[in-house]
Amino acid sequence: MLKREKISARQFRILVILSFVGTTILLVPSTLAAEAKQDAWIAAILGLVFGLLLVWFYNIVGSLFPNITIIEYQERLFGKWIGKFFSLLFASFLFLNCSTILFTVGDFITTQLLPETPIQFTILFFLLVAIIATRLGLEVFARAAEILFFWVFVFFIILILFLLPELEFKNLQPIFENGMRPILRGAIYYSSYSSMTNIVLLMIFPTCVNNIKQGKKAFYIGTFEAGILILFISLYSILVLGHDISSRSVFPTYILAKKISIGDFIERIEVIIAFIWFITVIYKTILYFYGSVIGFAQILNLKDYRPLTLPLGMILIVLSLTVFPSTLHEAAWTATTWIPFILTFSFFLPLLVLIVSVLKKKIKGKR
Amino acid sequence: MWPIIGIVLAAIGIAIYEVPSMIKRNLKKELWVFSVLLIIGVTLSIIESLNVEIPNPMDWLTIIYKPFSDIFLRILK
Repeated sequence: MLKREKISARQFRILVILSFVGTTILLVPSTLAAEAKQDAWIAAILGLVFGLLLVWFYNIVGSLFPNITIIEYQERLFGKWIGKFFSLLFASFLFLNCSTILFTVGDFITTQLLPETPIQFTILFFLLVAIIATRLGLEVFARAAEILFFWVFVFFIILILFLLPELEFKNLQPIFENGMRPILRGAIYYSSYSSMTNIVLLMIFPTCVNNIKQGKKAFYIGTFEAGILILFISLYSILVLGHDISSRSVFPTYILAKKISIGDFIERIEVIIAFIWFITVIYKTILYFYGSVIGFAQILNLKDYRPLTLPLGMILIVLSLTVFPSTLHEAAWTATTWIPFILTFSFFLPLLVLIVSVLKKKIKGKR
Repeated sequence: MWPIIGIVLAAIGIAIYEVPSMIKRNLKKELWVFSVLLIIGVTLSIIESLNVEIPNPMDWLTIIYKPFSDIFLRILK
């Protein structure tokens, strides 16, 4: 049995925001612009609505197991072996997703910032931070999140304010040119990156949140705030860059930051702005790594999860180097397999858990 | 050659760092899991450093999910 750690509702809210924004801020403006063209911001609003609906669903599923994680609950619900099988699938899903996040950040740093450094080392140092955070525990990195979140907020405000002179409102026209379908598609891709990946929070919610009622509220508020942040970013990438450039570039948010130029004095501050996603992506990596390590430890009934972190990290580096041989492979995989893959774990598996537990309660009630 | 030496040294370092505390606290099961995972990690890293192709789990997923992704793409077209 692992020791339980407790965080406050406020810390949980910040973790929700950081995990929601995570890699979304880097990847989604491009996807939204490619699917919904100049209506990307409508897709971002629709995606936020989907996200809030998912939070409602996760809150219902979460209240089934107030004192244990989803992995322990599955074992209790489905019986030892089937439960362990589902839990193993879930923990492997978290682990695999962690490697794709590392690939994304490695790809970003290698192509945009440090082209001479081998990608193995950028991934290694990024992962080392996640390993240290995981070893220190949830309470510690949740408290650090409170400090770091302030800077995310500050740099976000700087980005939004300094780009005001660059806005071109005619980029938004014509509205609804291609109808609802592309917008819906864009919104689904958007929520698959953001709110659906927040399933990882069921590893810490509601067990590790000290006040469940406030925690549920924090889940809604955090998702809403993060959704507004992404809405601004996608709106800005359309307003400043136009949908064409946004959809063609891999990391439009970074190009957005490059556009900042105030009075020939404040120039080239994109690396400072990049702190936003360094912090959010590291928190997404930490949450996924923490979730999978805790998951594996609970499946094997270990007393301490810390010994697993370093060997799993070693495997994770190799995995993140092999999952996508190239960005093209990643794009093809994301276009086809990603959505059904994430739906199975972030929607159908919790749905199955919910249905089985309701049926079980009914059968017990009849007796 | 150098990457392999580096990987093995890192693994020895990890073992020196972790094993004594596990033995002291008498965590036998943890020690087993740790050793198995470390051996897997070292093997995979060495294979990767030799540029031998490792089977990609994403490709298996693509095959498993093929029927579902076809349906999904048809719905959203």
